[in-house]
Amino acid sequence: MVAPSRSLLFAVMLAFVLPAVAGAQAPAGRTDKEREQIAILRAPAAADDVAAEGKRALACKMLAIHGSADAVADLAALLANERLSSWARIALEAIPDPAAGAALRAEAAKLSGRQLVGVIHSLGVRRDAAAVEMLAAKLADRDPAVASASAYALGMVGDAAATAALRKALPRAEGKVRSAIAEACVVAADRLRGAGKGADAVAVYDEVRNADVPVQRKLEAIRGAILARGDAGVPLLAEQLRAADEKYFRLGLTVARELPAGATDRALAEELAKLPPARAALVVTAMADRPGSTDVATLVKAAGAGPKEIRVAALSALGQIGKPGAVATLLAGATDADADIAAAARGALAELRGAEVDAAIRDRLATADPGLLAVLLGLVGQRRIDAVPAVINAVNHADPTVRTAALKALGEIVDGDRLGVLVERTVTPRSDAEGAAALAALNAASLRMPDREACAARLSGALGTAPVAVQVKLLEILGGVGGTKALQTVATAARSDSDELRDASSRLLGEWMTADAAPVLLDLTKTAPGEKYQNRAMRGYIRIARQFDLPLDQRLEMCRKAWEAARQPAEQKMVLDVLRRYPAPSGLDMAVTAAGSEGVKAEARQAAASIAQKLGELPAEAWKKLEGLGLVKRKLEIQKAEYGSGERKKDVTETLRKHAGSTIVIVLPDPSFNKVFAGDPAPGAAKQLVIRYLLDGKPAEVTIAEDQPIELVEPK
Amino acid sequence: MPTPRSRLARRQFLRRGLAGGATVAAPLVIPGSALGLDGTVPPSERVVVGGIGIGNRGTYDLGCFFEQKDVQFAAVCDVKEARRAAIKKMADDRAGNDACATYRDFRELLDRDDIDAVLIATGPNWHATMTMYAARAGKDIYCEKPVTKNIEQSLILKDTIARTGRIFQAGTQRRNLPHFAFACELARTGRLGKMKRVYAHPAGMTAISSGWLPAEPEPPKEQVDWDMYLGPAAWRPFNAKQLDGFNFEKGGGLVGGGVLEWGTHCVDLCQWAVNDRPPPVEYNPPKDGEIVARYDDGVELIFREKGWIPLGSCPVRFEGEDGWVEAGDSGKMVLSSPTLLAGREVAEIGGYPATFHVRDFLDCVKSRHQPKTNAVAACNAHIACHAANVALFLGRPVRFDNATNTFLDDAEANRLRSEALREPWRL
Repeated sequence: MVAPSRSLLFAVMLAFVLPAVAGAQAPAGRTDKEREQIAILRAPAAADDVAAEGKRALACKMLAIHGSADAVADLAALLANERLSSWARIALEAIPDPAAGAALRAEAAKLSGRQLVGVIHSLGVRRDAAAVEMLAAKLADRDPAVASASAYALGMVGDAAATAALRKALPRAEGKVRSAIAEACVVAADRLRGAGKGADAVAVYDEVRNADVPVQRKLEAIRGAILARGDAGVPLLAEQLRAADEKYFRLGLTVARELPAGATDRALAEELAKLPPARAALVVTAMADRPGSTDVATLVKAAGAGPKEIRVAALSALGQIGKPGAVATLLAGATDADADIAAAARGALAELRGAEVDAAIRDRLATADPGLLAVLLGLVGQRRIDAVPAVINAVNHADPTVRTAALKALGEIVDGDRLGVLVERTVTPRSDAEGAAALAALNAASLRMPDREACAARLSGALGTAPVAVQVKLLEILGGVGGTKALQTVATAARSDSDELRDASSRLLGEWMTADAAPVLLDLTKTAPGEKYQNRAMRGYIRIARQFDLPLDQRLEMCRKAWEAARQPAEQKMVLDVLRRYPAPSGLDMAVTAAGSEGVKAEARQAAASIAQKLGELPAEAWKKLEGLGLVKRKLEIQKAEYGSGERKKDVTETLRKHAGSTIVIVLPDPSFNKVFAGDPAPGAAKQLVIRYLLDGKPAEVTIAEDQPIELVEPK
Repeated sequence: MPTPRSRLARRQFLRRGLAGGATVAAPLVIPGSALGLDGTVPPSERVVVGGIGIGNRGTYDLGCFFEQKDVQFAAVCDVKEARRAAIKKMADDRAGNDACATYRDFRELLDRDDIDAVLIATGPNWHATMTMYAARAGKDIYCEKPVTKNIEQSLILKDTIARTGRIFQAGTQRRNLPHFAFACELARTGRLGKMKRVYAHPAGMTAISSGWLPAEPEPPKEQVDWDMYLGPAAWRPFNAKQLDGFNFEKGGGLVGGGVLEWGTHCVDLCQWAVNDRPPPVEYNPPKDGEIVARYDDGVELIFREKGWIPLGSCPVRFEGEDGWVEAGDSGKMVLSSPTLLAGREVAEIGGYPATFHVRDFLDCVKSRHQPKTNAVAACNAHIACHAANVALFLGRPVRFDNATNTFLDDAEANRLRSEALREPWRL
């Protein structure tokens, strides 16, 4: 047996794909493409030549795009072939010429078993009306698979003759064939319904739902029968909602969401009172999915009193679809003693849409008792209702719960002019709890201030009067706000006398989200008080070089400065990592120079190899520099690479080829072999990467332990 | 680069559920009777689940199902004996019994009346076909992505789920993660202004060809059922390299690269950002690492390989006239202005867990509410990916008509809309 290699296979596929593209641009060439594929189908081959079969299979696939009536006979000749039949049908289903349908019909008369089933399916996909008589006859075939397939095909054709044949056969068929015919009847009836022939569809649906068929077939027919009847189908819907069998009830819930507005909404509202609470609660969820038409008054009533599960569901539903009139009910619920009901009501109040709702909540702020006022203030914050004066009043309320709620709300709605209220409460809180609430609110408010420089100025101004612990928190907020003023303030704090402030500031600068922190950090690498903070500044500086979107020149210049300022091998290695990530000729020079530093020799060599690998073609002088690191330009060809342990290994040749360059060092994009090679072939076992290769034409092999640097050895 | 962020601990988010934080989901409503007084779930309120094709990804999904107290796992089906045994052990260990049944043929599992829902986590070759069989058998379905191999399958899946009245959730779990949900909400509710473009990350646009590999000795059927593994895919000889399922016959084996693999996640989010409207009507072939598609109102859907803010895999970006947002699998997002956050707490949940998506599915099994990635949403997102792949494959622009679901004046493109299934399988 001659089998194609995988690369040959891809070459074969490419040979198909590329002409397909060319063919698309130059339709005149199509005949040639078709002729080539037909020639492959006609090529003589031994019966057991699996490789030749593969070529014929792929030729069929291409004929699905390029084939015409000219290809039909050769394709049809494969329909009896167990292996290639479906390949041939890929083309025969796609070729629009009627000759393809005629060929399928002709073969259906000769075939049996699975091949016949496949051909029948294809006739259905083609919606071949000329096949209806033949398919109708096969509904009574002794092979249930053939009869069922014929039913499916007739349902797909779905014309009057096909539908009539299915209806006639339904009562006569048995078992799974009857189920298949019932399904096909519903498919055909759905098409009638879609075409506006509702009455015709109803007749078919009713026959199926009243027939002795599996429950699922009945459900499909009942759904169609309800939808096709429209308002007149609502009693049938109600019947499902009351049905003892849960399956029918669930169908009712589904169909209730599909019907148009009107009678359905009234029926759902009526059913609420009649159904057991668990079912009624689910009907409420269906009502919530009909926001344009559902009976809100019924939901309001259900939310106010009655079984708990219905109340919870109704309160949630009101949040989705409620009108301003529901606010009173929801507010009553929000202070209910039952935690579930209160939570549902508060959630609904947060969701409920409309300016009138905002107004209703705002109007109650002045008169509410402390319990309700805390709830209202929570809603003011969640809904971001413009009620700043009333909320500032509440910040001074006698009840501490109200004060805390007011501070939280203020965080969501306060503007820049009145940010001072939160600053003042943060710096001089009445209690620890209120201080924490004020701080959280100040953070939330500051992050959304449109004028962040003004906001930063106000926060910076408060620093001098606050205790150190609060100053740290204010600095953290400044870190989130960002901008010039914030950066200046944090940079100043990084040189303060307080160790706590230095610690917080250097940490914040190390996480700064804009590249303008780079000069500040570079300066701190030399001037920060203490080695700890200088090191932290260095890492922050390199982080900006590594992660931020910068012009390449600027990034490399930052690397150069970082290298000059770096005092430890760990920092130097971080710089080398940046150079590796962003390969450039000047970066290569830096890596070569770095290889002279004792503590990072190996890493610098790896970085140089990686950069060279990514740059591809290098000028002669670059190679000369690399020679000093033992990196000589070689002709490398990876023949085979396997990764794993014992029998559990995977072929990683293609992946390794992608990363191999022109030196004996291969640098992968990640140190983890499992990551680079897309999975762990032998979990828990010590794995190895075995590479066979040609170096300057000479064969060699090397074994590398998992996750170790890859350096090839010279051939023996 | 402004990065207003507000963190909410994962545990806190789990406790709040999706009604809290940044999401706009309707609060989940589980009837109180579903939970017994001791927190256990009475049998009548359990969802009985079967699993089909439970390999690596499926095992992860199953773990998410196992986290739910109201799930009773009854049976596993796999063409590989080793997987059947491994999953049965997991299930039996969880339940403390020996009740998990095993099947090689999924139809036997579907024939069981006591199973309410199935997790389908086979390779993508089987997803659509098996979903249709499950729906016809009256099961609700959680199916891994990509769900379909071509446009026609997407449409038939949508119709079949509607006709059978089933609940379907595609395994695009990012719809149930708070930062992605918030980003989509910003776009959908107009807070970014009039939408201009949405970006998806295809993570490689090269087509994956399953092809026809050299024949190897076929193992015994009990060990690996090759005929059942091939299922609806055209026949080819056994070769162990094709047994991974993950890449086998994705997109029909010619046009199933990153556009489909990752697009079903990212494009799905883009579709949500533009209100789950019908897919774009115009698709261009790749240029400078981008496939540009356009919706009927001119909004662009761009499959972009590079230029992303490093926020982890599967990033999306939505741009309107007044602002933009970008989010990725790290759980983080970046906004054009802090005002967009408006003080909202958006949970940062990285690692794209499927737990919340599974919970959404189970809630919908009970309420019959449509889950986040229901069949209609999945159909539209998949069509966008398939149509983009057709433009990629043909190397030229194609135009798609959402009224007829065909390519306009393009016989070649229309021939790529569907593909015959191997006998005896059908949709």
